[in-house]
Amino acid sequence: MSAAVPSPVLLEPKSVTGTGAGNDPLVLLELIQRLKVRDVMTTKLATVSRSATMREVQELMRQKKISGVPVEEDGRFFGLVSIDDIIRALGGGYIGDPCSKHMTTKLVVLEDDMPISFALRYFDRYHYGRFPVLNRDRRLVGILCQRDINRALLVELSTELNRLEAATGRHLAQDGVSNLYLLREFPICKYDFENAGKAANEIKHLLQERQIPPKIIRRIAVAAYELEINLCVHSDGGVLSWQISNGRAVIIARDAGPGIEDVEWACRDGTSTANEWIRSLGFGAGMGLANVKRVSDEFEVTSKKGSGTTVRAVVIVEGLA
Amino acid sequence: MPDEEAEVAAAYTSDLLSDVVAHCPDGAVLVTVQNHKNSVAVCTLVGAPAILVVHRREIPADMLEVARREGVALLRTKDDQFAASCKIGAVLMRPLAGASCDESSK
Amino acid sequence: MTMAEMAGALKAEILVEGEGCHKAIRYVVASDLMSDVLLVDEEDMLLLTSLASDQVLRTAQIIGAVGVIVVNGKPLPSSMVEVAMQLRMTLATSKLSKYDACIAVHGALGARV
Repeated sequence: MSAAVPSPVLLEPKSVTGTGAGNDPLVLLELIQRLKVRDVMTTKLATVSRSATMREVQELMRQKKISGVPVEEDGRFFGLVSIDDIIRALGGGYIGDPCSKHMTTKLVVLEDDMPISFALRYFDRYHYGRFPVLNRDRRLVGILCQRDINRALLVELSTELNRLEAATGRHLAQDGVSNLYLLREFPICKYDFENAGKAANEIKHLLQERQIPPKIIRRIAVAAYELEINLCVHSDGGVLSWQISNGRAVIIARDAGPGIEDVEWACRDGTSTANEWIRSLGFGAGMGLANVKRVSDEFEVTSKKGSGTTVRAVVIVEGLA
Repeated sequence: MPDEEAEVAAAYTSDLLSDVVAHCPDGAVLVTVQNHKNSVAVCTLVGAPAILVVHRREIPADMLEVARREGVALLRTKDDQFAASCKIGAVLMRPLAGASCDESSK
Repeated sequence: MTMAEMAGALKAEILVEGEGCHKAIRYVVASDLMSDVLLVDEEDMLLLTSLASDQVLRTAQIIGAVGVIVVNGKPLPSSMVEVAMQLRMTLATSKLSKYDACIAVHGALGARV
C-alpha cells in the first residue's frame, strides 16, 4: 500500500451549498466508513461443496478466472480453496482429493455490515487477496477483493464529481481564498519513515501555488506534518485528511491505534511515548500535539484507549492577510 | 558554578547521543537539548566534564542526581544550540578556517 | 549571505542546489531533533544538523528553510539527495563538527560587509 498518494475530492452536493450538518463536507474517509462490505463485494459466487475434488476446483478457477473458491453448502460456509492450495495439490499429487481435505479453514472473514474502512485494514494486515464475507447468521454472502473496493470507489467518485460540477457549474479549486476548495486524503502507514512527511510536503506545495500568506501556510504545514508523523510513529497507521473550504483549513488525523490514555498529558510539551529508535531518527521529543495546538486556531483530540484517535486542527485562512 | 572555561578547551554540539559517543572529543563540553539522564551517562563515557542544556529545558531530578554522582557539571542556558556554541567559541577563542574571531584571549 | 556563499565560506560541498540557494540566510538553527526544528518560528533558515535522513529535508521544506548543511562529514544516503531534488531544497555537507560549523557560520555572517 503506497502512502501519501493523494485521493481526489468526494462531497455531498448539499455541503457545496453550505447547508450540510457542520461545516465540513463529506470526505473520502467518511465515504469509506459509510460504504459497507455488502455494498461492494462480489455476490455472484462460484462455490463448491465439500465433496468436490481439487481438480474440479481448479477447473472452476480456470473457467471463471477466479483465484479463490469458497466451499459452502446451502450457505453454510466451510472453507476456502485458493490457487496456492491447487498448486500444492498438483505438486503433491493429490489433485483428485475432495477439497474438504485441503481447503483452508482457519480463515479471516469479514462481516457484510462492516464499513470498507475496516476491511481495508484487513487487507493491509493480512496480505490475503480476498476475504469471504459472512452475514449475521454466519452464512456466506459474498467475497471481497481489493479490486472490488477500488472499483466501487471509482464509481462513487465519478458520480460525485459529476454531481458536484453540475451543482456548482465551475471547476474545483478556484482562485481567491474564499472560493478556494481543496481536499486531499493521505493514507499513512505505521513506521513508514521513507514516506513520512510526504503528505505535509505536498500540502505545503499545493498551498504555495495559491494566494495564501506564507505565515498561514507555515502553520498549516507544521500542523499537517506533526499529525502525519504522529500517525506514522504512534498509531497502527491511519489517514490524514486535509481540506480548505469557507476560508478554513481543516486537518484531520484518524487512526485505529492504541488510543491515548491521557489526552491532556499527551498535549503538553515534552511528553512522549516514543522509544529510543524513534528518537534516534530525530522524532519523539514530545512536541507533536502541543505544537499542533500551538499553530492552530481550533484543536480537538478524541481518543479512547484501545480504539483509536482522531485529532482535528483548524487554521483560519480567510481574513488574515 | 564551576569555572568551566579554565578546564575546558573544546565543545561538542549534538542532540544525537549515538553521534556524541562516536565523535565527541575528550574533555569537551557537551552542548545539547537532550535533557535526560542518558546524556550524562554519555558524558561519562566520552569524558565530557560538563553538559550545557540549551533552550532552557527543565532538568529532571534523576538527571541532576546522576550528574552529581558522576561529577559531571550541569549547566543550563536559554540560548539555542547555535547561539550557545558561538558564545562558547568566542570565549574559547578557537581559530577556524574560513572564520574570524574578534575577542581577545582570556 | 546566501546559502551558496555560506557553503563557500565553510568549504562545504553542495550536493543539491535548491530553490533557496541564492536567498539570504536570515536565521540559523543547529538542531538534530526535527520536532524542535518545527518549533522555530523564523523565515529563511539555514539548518545545521548531524542527522542524515530524508526527514531533515522534509522538515526543512515545511519550515521554509533556504538550505541544509549536514555536518560531521557524514556520507549521505542517496535517498536524501533524491528527496532534496524533489523538494528543491539546497543540500550540502561539511566536514566540520556542528560546534565548529556554528562558529564558522557565525564568523562568516559577522564578517560580511
